[in-house]
This record gives sequence, C-alpha cells and structure tokens, in this order.
Amino acid sequence: MDGQGPSPVLGSRITPEPDVDTLQKHSFWKSLLHHREIGVACALIIVFTVFFSLQKHFLSSGTLGDIVTIAAELGVVAVGASFLMISGEMDLSVGSNFAFGGMILAMLITKQNWNPLLAFIVAISCSAGIGALNGLITLSIGIPSFITTLGAMMFWRGVALYLTQGWPISIFEDVPLLRWLGGGRVVATVHISAVWWLIIGVIFWIVLQKTPYGNWVFATGGKRGAARALGVPDVKVKLINFTLIGLLAGMGGCFQLGRMGSMSPVWGQELALEAIAASVIGGNALTGGVGSILGTMLGAITMASIRIGLVMIGAPAYWYMSFVGFIVVAAVALNVKLGEVISWKK
Amino acid sequence: MEKVTTSAPSDMPVMQGIKLCKWFGRVAALEDVDITLERGEVVGLVGDNGAGKSTLIKILSGVYRPDSGELRFEGQRVEMDSPRDARRLGIETVYQDLALVETMSIARNFFLGAEPQRRIGLFNLLDTGKMLQATEEMLRDIGITVRSAHQEVSTLSGGERQAIAIGRTMHFGGKILILDEPTSALSVHETNKVLSYINEARNRGLSVIFITHNLYHVYPVADKIIVLEHGRKVGDFRKEETSVEELMDIIVHGIEGDRRTKKVTIP
Repeated sequence: MDGQGPSPVLGSRITPEPDVDTLQKHSFWKSLLHHREIGVACALIIVFTVFFSLQKHFLSSGTLGDIVTIAAELGVVAVGASFLMISGEMDLSVGSNFAFGGMILAMLITKQNWNPLLAFIVAISCSAGIGALNGLITLSIGIPSFITTLGAMMFWRGVALYLTQGWPISIFEDVPLLRWLGGGRVVATVHISAVWWLIIGVIFWIVLQKTPYGNWVFATGGKRGAARALGVPDVKVKLINFTLIGLLAGMGGCFQLGRMGSMSPVWGQELALEAIAASVIGGNALTGGVGSILGTMLGAITMASIRIGLVMIGAPAYWYMSFVGFIVVAAVALNVKLGEVISWKK
Repeated sequence: MEKVTTSAPSDMPVMQGIKLCKWFGRVAALEDVDITLERGEVVGLVGDNGAGKSTLIKILSGVYRPDSGELRFEGQRVEMDSPRDARRLGIETVYQDLALVETMSIARNFFLGAEPQRRIGLFNLLDTGKMLQATEEMLRDIGITVRSAHQEVSTLSGGERQAIAIGRTMHFGGKILILDEPTSALSVHETNKVLSYINEARNRGLSVIFITHNLYHVYPVADKIIVLEHGRKVGDFRKEETSVEELMDIIVHGIEGDRRTKKVTIP
C-alpha cells in the first residue's frame, strides 16, 4: 500500500443488498439446530428409550409423575444456578442453603410455633440473604465465586448441623402450608412442587429472554467489559442473581420439607453439583454468557429420569452418579459438535 | 446528508481539550496536549505504543479525569465522571475488544444498555419486534449481508463487528465517535470497508477520532492528523499540509531537534 492507500467511495454501499432468498430459506431442520436445547433433548430421548425398553412401566403416568416431582426440587435450584451461571458466576453453597432454608422453616414451625406462612417467608428470606452475602463478598473483595461459595457451603452446613445437633426435624401434625408447598398432589403422583417449579421456570424464562434485565444478564456473563462500557450495571446484575439463587435454594428446601414432612441438616450435599450438571446438560456454558432455562429444566428432568429409571429396572441406585456423569459429558460433547457443524454452514 | 442538528453554532468546535495533563504517579502520561475536533471532521490520532493515545481518549470518553487542563463540549466547559456522562453528551467510544458481546445476537448487542421496551400489564418487556426491525434496517443501511439479526456476533468478521458498533453510534444520535484501533486486526479488504463506514459517519455530521498506529489506515479518511509522542503532541496537521512521508518521519524520528527519542518501530 502506498500513500494514496485505499480511497473508498463516499457513502457507497460496498456489498450488495442482502439476498431476500437467503433470508427466507431458513429450513425447519436447520433452525432446529440453532436451539441450545437440542443436546439435552437428545439425551432425554435416549434415557427414555433405554429405560422404556428395559421396563415397560417406565412410561406410566405414575412414574412420570414421580420424575417430575423429583425434578422439581432439583430443578428449582438448577433454574437459579443457570441464571447465575449465565451472568458468569457460580454458587457451590446451594446444597447447604437448601438444607438451611428447610431447617429454618421446620424449626420455626415446630420449636417456635410460628405462623407457617410467616415462617416460610422468614426461611426463604434467610436463604436469599445467604445468597446476597455470597454476592457481596465475591464482588466487593473480587475473589472468585467458586472460593466464596465453597467456604459458604461448609460454613452454612456447619451452622445447620449445630442448630439441629445433627438430627433431622420432623413435622408430624398436619400443616396446610406444607401441603401447599410440596405435600399435596395435583394429579396422579405429581406433587404441587412441580407446579411451583413450572411457574418459577416460566417467570425466569420470560425475564431472561424477554426483558432488558435478561439482556444484561447475558451481556454481563458474555463479556463483562463490553457490558460495562455500554452502561450495563454488571455488579448489580450479579448481586441480584446471587440473591435469586439463594432464594430459590431456600424454596427448594421448603418444597422438600413439604413433601417429606422432615428435613435433615445433611440433605442436599450433592445438590450444587447436580444443579450445575443440569445447567450444563441443558446447554449452559460454564464460562457464562450462554444458556437456556428450558434446557436447564429438561436437564433436571433427564437427571430425575435416571434416578427413577434405575430404581425401576432394579439396578443399584449407586449407579445414578455414574449415569449422570456420562450424560453430562455426552450432552456437552453433542452441543459442542453441533456448534461446529452450525458454524461451518454459516 | 446533515442529519445531526444542534443548538450550538456550527462554526464552534464540537469538542476541545485544552492543556490536558494526566499523571500516573511521577510519570506524565499526557503533558499539555491540546486537541480540537470540528463538526464532521475525522481526526487521526497516531503515535507509537505508550505515546499517550489511549490516555487521551480515555479522558475524552470520561474514563479518566484530567489532572489539569479543561474539556469543552460545544463551547461549554464540561466535567465527566464516567463513560456514562460522556455517552449522555453524545460521545460514543468503540473499543477494539469491548465493542460487542460475541455470544449474543446482533439485535441484542445493538440495543444493549438502551433496550426498547413495551409495557404489557405490569411488566416492561423487550420490544423484540422493534429491535429486529431497527437492527436489520441498520445492517442494510451499512451494507452487511447476514441471514438475520438473530445471528450471533461470533459468526461475523472483524470488519462487520466494527461496522455494527459504528452503526449503533449513528443510530443512537451520537455526535462524536471515538474508534480505538478499529482496523488493527483486519484484512485490507475489511479495512477499506471500515474506512467507508467512517466516511459515512462523517457525511452524517458526526465527528470521528480514529486512533491507530498504522498511518496508512488513517491517512485516506482523516481531515487532520495529530501525532503524540511520550505524552506530548509533536504534530497537528491538516491533511493538505502534510504527507505520509513527513508524518512517518515524525513518528519514527521525533520532531526536529529531538532525535534522541529515535525508535525503529515502523507501523
């Protein structure tokens, strides 16, 4: 290049108008590939096919109801984990928070004779507070949320164990609120917690996909510097999401208390990893910026199907973790490979 | 093509920095630098690494406050505390790596931080229809062929990404466009495209500051070229008054009588 260099024509259009044909030739199958839920949908179909071929009762309404019920308690937490993960952070303390929220509700009802509704509000507020504290520490000091919430996981588990001296708390009398939270059944074996999960899922899906806030969540996790340069309040977004996952973890604990009528301070030990697994099976990127609430919910259903399916075919339930481990890697591998295929075609 | 109208008289510089200084500890990053930007003018800001280019644009875009000196926007003295203040005045900065979020769609990027909303019941939801329509209009306007505005930014080329960032500024009625190394990672063909977008921005009455260390990129589009070196301004020319050779000589050898700063890095 010499001194004259390129001299572009002023205001001219360098490239031709977009070809209308290519804009509209958007075949159904091709557009299907663009959905992040494709990997988890395949995983779910495979899991169902395998269990159905081994045990015909797997597709009975009773079993499906059990699956949805089990998925609900994990899924409520996974929706929160997914939301936080998209904004680029992680919470390992949800299992402890889950147990803590359930414990607070159980203790306030049995030991303090509180009004159950008030006790529920206090319990989920405590859990939300724990989430907010994780966020404040992470964001104000600037340490990775992995570390903050690892510490919080141990700390709040210890507190829950101390408060109960390690014993589970059971509620024997009939408390209408507990039936409303998870004890009651809507249809067949589907517990009411599944309905709450569906409602929560829809709300979070709308917030993520259809509101400006959702746009900020994607941007904060996708490229924080760019989001900030465009005026997105990235710190506020993360803090809100930390609080929301705390709230949802507490709710999950209360749902389980409602369904089981008791809460043990050692429950939910694997919940954090299960919630993260459900999110990544559902197409979330561990690094943030990308993800889907619908995918996460399908991920939770996949994991619950494995849990129920193993019991139904008479396999030792110990295999659950191995199966989930396999599905995590397979679903993510499928997503990555599909992503490559799609980018070739573009 | 004059689309931008303001109350300020048109002969007044849209932005002026007077004797700007910025110190980091005992190191002067910028010393007594004056800069004047007229309406519809493209200013090339060149200089070697560490010459003070990025410090200067960070002052002009509200990231840093100058330690001394003053900023005037359309004749009024202004003090900016954040990039948000600068954007409110109509100063938009497109950073090399921070212009767009690659994992999001073009439409979502285009309106990031300024999302159009429509009220449904109690809730403010994204006006996705408007987002798509406006984005596709912009894409057609600047001549980018994509399948749809839903397409992820990661599938676009570097030049297309710059174009979208520039198009965004034009859409939101910015008055000053600061481009930080917009061509540094681009092919010749793509660079030419970006230069044509800069021309388009000027035709619409925007003022552009174009930071680069490649003189050949800025020379064709610039009306004025400012050369910085070690935090000081060593050249400020209208394009007619100078040539690439002369500018090159200044960048490489420093101004006359200052040959001790000789460096052999050629852009």
